[in-house]
Amino acid sequence: MPRPASLDTLMRSLADPTRRAVFERIVQSREVSVGELADGSGVTQSAISQHLRSLKQAGLIADRSQGRHVFYRAQPKGLAPLVDWMGHYGVFWRERFVNLRTLLKEIDP
Amino acid sequence: MNDTTITSTTQQIVVDEVLPHAPEAIWKTLTTGDLIGRWLMTPSGFEPVEGNRFTFQTTPAGEWDGTIHCRIVELVTNERLAYTWRGGHEGNAGYGSPLDTVVTWTLSRVAGGTRLRLVHSGFVAPRNDSAYRSMGEGWKKVVHNVGDVAGEAR
Repeated sequence: MPRPASLDTLMRSLADPTRRAVFERIVQSREVSVGELADGSGVTQSAISQHLRSLKQAGLIADRSQGRHVFYRAQPKGLAPLVDWMGHYGVFWRERFVNLRTLLKEIDP
Repeated sequence: MNDTTITSTTQQIVVDEVLPHAPEAIWKTLTTGDLIGRWLMTPSGFEPVEGNRFTFQTTPAGEWDGTIHCRIVELVTNERLAYTWRGGHEGNAGYGSPLDTVVTWTLSRVAGGTRLRLVHSGFVAPRNDSAYRSMGEGWKKVVHNVGDVAGEAR
């Protein structure tokens, strides 16, 4: 079952506060390199790299190589397994309210 | 998921609107089987009495057949209707994962009609910590997109 495994990976990846902070930095920038993430963070570049591997494995970030540099960007879709039901019903109920208004106009003009 | 430090808490969806109709008219749409079918989904076995069990058929996912199981837990004519809303399977993540929630409708007469409030409560979600807050507008967009995808699958 690949899907529960991916939810598990996602939860484990976000459970680490440092990794969460790294993810937040990436979310806030359009694209960022390992060096930029390490700068002023108090975390070594190699530790950052490990966190990036975990985030990538969890589907939360994507990377792009350009010459000797690798740039990272957030993949918001990676968070989808966490919010799927709520996202689903958030839209579902709003749509149903629209249907209800239409029906009421019809049966109770 | 016992090896993570993210704690679970429950969250709810609220939709609250004033509709230009009397509570009695709205109550009818919430508690009549064929009318429910015209705006929500067609229920199977619905009777407007406390304790009544009924189902809705939705899109299956994995080992879940897509059936939503409901039981009326509260019914106060023209005022309040609450039913459980359960489904899903442990083999699924996200859409189709175990769902043990409650849908509550509250009607109150206001000038020009009725305030209709829907509370769909009991969603289990990770704690709303900084990682999620920092998503800001982006987060809302994610939720929106997820909803679109789920909507297409219906």
